[in-house]
Amino acid sequence: MRSIKVSILALLMIFGLHAFAHDTATGMHISTKSPQAHVLFEKGIQKMEMLHTQDGLDSFRKAVQADPQFALGHIFLTFFSQDPTEQVAEREKALATRASAGPEEKLVIDWLANASQANWVPAIQAMNEALTSYPNDKHLHWLAGWWLQLDRSQTQRAIAMFEQTMKIDPQFADAYNEAAYCYARQGNFDKAFADIKRYTELVPNEPNPQDSFAELSRMAGRFEDALTHYRMSLKIDPSFHESQLGLGDTYALMGDQQKARAEYAKAIEVASLVQKVVWSLQVAATYVREGDLAGADKAFTAVAEQAHAKDFANLEAEAYRSMSLYQLEGPASVALLGKAEAALKEAHKVPQSLLNQELAQVLRTRVERALADNNAELAAATIKQLQTLAEANDADGIISGAFHGAAGAIALTAGKFADAVNHLEEDESNAISMRALIAAYNKNGQQGNATRLAAKLAALNVPLIEQAVVVPEFRKQRAAVASKSNPALDPRAKYR
Amino acid sequence: MSIRRCIWVFFLIAGLAASGEAKQLAVIVDKTNNTGGLSTTDLTKVFKFDSHKWPDGRPVILVLRDPSTPEMKTAIEKLYHMQVDQFKSLLAAHSSGVIIVRSEDELLKSVEAIPGAVGLVDVYSINGRVNVLKVDGKLPLEQGYFLKGN
Repeated sequence: MRSIKVSILALLMIFGLHAFAHDTATGMHISTKSPQAHVLFEKGIQKMEMLHTQDGLDSFRKAVQADPQFALGHIFLTFFSQDPTEQVAEREKALATRASAGPEEKLVIDWLANASQANWVPAIQAMNEALTSYPNDKHLHWLAGWWLQLDRSQTQRAIAMFEQTMKIDPQFADAYNEAAYCYARQGNFDKAFADIKRYTELVPNEPNPQDSFAELSRMAGRFEDALTHYRMSLKIDPSFHESQLGLGDTYALMGDQQKARAEYAKAIEVASLVQKVVWSLQVAATYVREGDLAGADKAFTAVAEQAHAKDFANLEAEAYRSMSLYQLEGPASVALLGKAEAALKEAHKVPQSLLNQELAQVLRTRVERALADNNAELAAATIKQLQTLAEANDADGIISGAFHGAAGAIALTAGKFADAVNHLEEDESNAISMRALIAAYNKNGQQGNATRLAAKLAALNVPLIEQAVVVPEFRKQRAAVASKSNPALDPRAKYR
Repeated sequence: MSIRRCIWVFFLIAGLAASGEAKQLAVIVDKTNNTGGLSTTDLTKVFKFDSHKWPDGRPVILVLRDPSTPEMKTAIEKLYHMQVDQFKSLLAAHSSGVIIVRSEDELLKSVEAIPGAVGLVDVYSINGRVNVLKVDGKLPLEQGYFLKGN
């Protein structure tokens, strides 16, 4: 008979540090002393796989409550949380508890903790070490895909990660979803639709696959298909409000602003407080799309007031900045940007990171407006302010994109075309930067790039104010140029 | 809905701003190399065979990809300021100081294994078995980093 000491030792070994450090054939190694934390963490992963983000976050939070030494749980919260304060606090906890983690978990912590502090080189080194050491871990590859596309906009590399995830587990639904979006961003809609179709087959009873199918259809300009799939999503789950919003977005991009407003109204009725404000910005943009600038002013002002009342300072500033984008007179635009900046500088509960992101957008818009008004002095002073902000927030892609967009616009105006290309390529998902980049490519002797990007901009179907102020006008100009070079294409020609 | 829209819903309207896919090259050396960084001028000297030794006295060995790869096109444009044919002639004249490899993986393994080796690789391919040098005080992906391609 074994002694009690041996039995206790055995029990400790079974339920101790390594008892719940499970190695599954295709999953991530999880080290926690708490069986409850382990179950909650796995539940969190499952929820995240279905993009039930809030439920997933709740499970991760409960997991680290059950085991505060659970380093992997802390670092997942750092990565997935939308709250900057929580991100920082959880990162510190992950680093403090790193010693209790297994080798794979340590690499994941090194990767994501470094990434959250803009230490990109050690972050990438740790990520690649983990990927090489654990080639059959589907969650690791899926997470890498997310990070590469979400934080770094490395679409091609993200696709490789999602495809490896599919290879490890052909039933891993979200890998198909994310890969489809990556392909769509590259303009490869054949691949995008093949993956999204598989996604709908894998989870036929979830609304999100239909919502994704709809959004990709809209991106491809297949508006009727988009409407059909959004409706299918709502049929599966009438409370999936993003699909209701999607109906509004689709009508807006189709040019039917009245129907868009009617669909948006239904979405806003059931939305959360913050969603009500964000989605009201979409409503206001419909007036810009139909050329009713007075109506747009009225709607955006109402949203700014609503945001002010709810203390959503970043959204209040965004409403004023959006108004500044379509103003015909420079002084009116500059005054609105002043109101936006003032709103951000009042005392608020909004996380500083969100205020900084909006401030960056306000400053880039001021630079662009100053250049349009030939006010080089204001442009120079503002870019300096924006550069300081960007340097202080090195990890923030939105701030960095705003800086490069503005710096590119300045370089383009100054005739420094290669510099302009370098900057603008760092912000090439923004319609305003895309338009400037086409000009920079042309001036820099890169006509092939200019032609490709022009086609991409003309086909850009995203429900953003930047798209509303740039793309319809850009399409008109292209059509005019095409009809000049080939009169047969000009529908007005027959009346001449 | 993708994770991007899902997570970024709070600031969706701010635009899907993020950096593009312009390639940035990391200058990598073996782990025993204590050189933390180089100026653009010194880096150019190393890659043009004008500097033959590291400060610790070990010979410099360049590990490069074929000139037709995107990485080398960026390097030729930024470091060498040459046409491809001129670049090939330069390599031929210094064949004892250069190794041409066929893949990124081979490049990483060669730099890891050869003392004094230095190579250029897409920053997203680096691993923990090589050191990354700063260029003019900056690491890849920092604002103003030199070795960035269009």
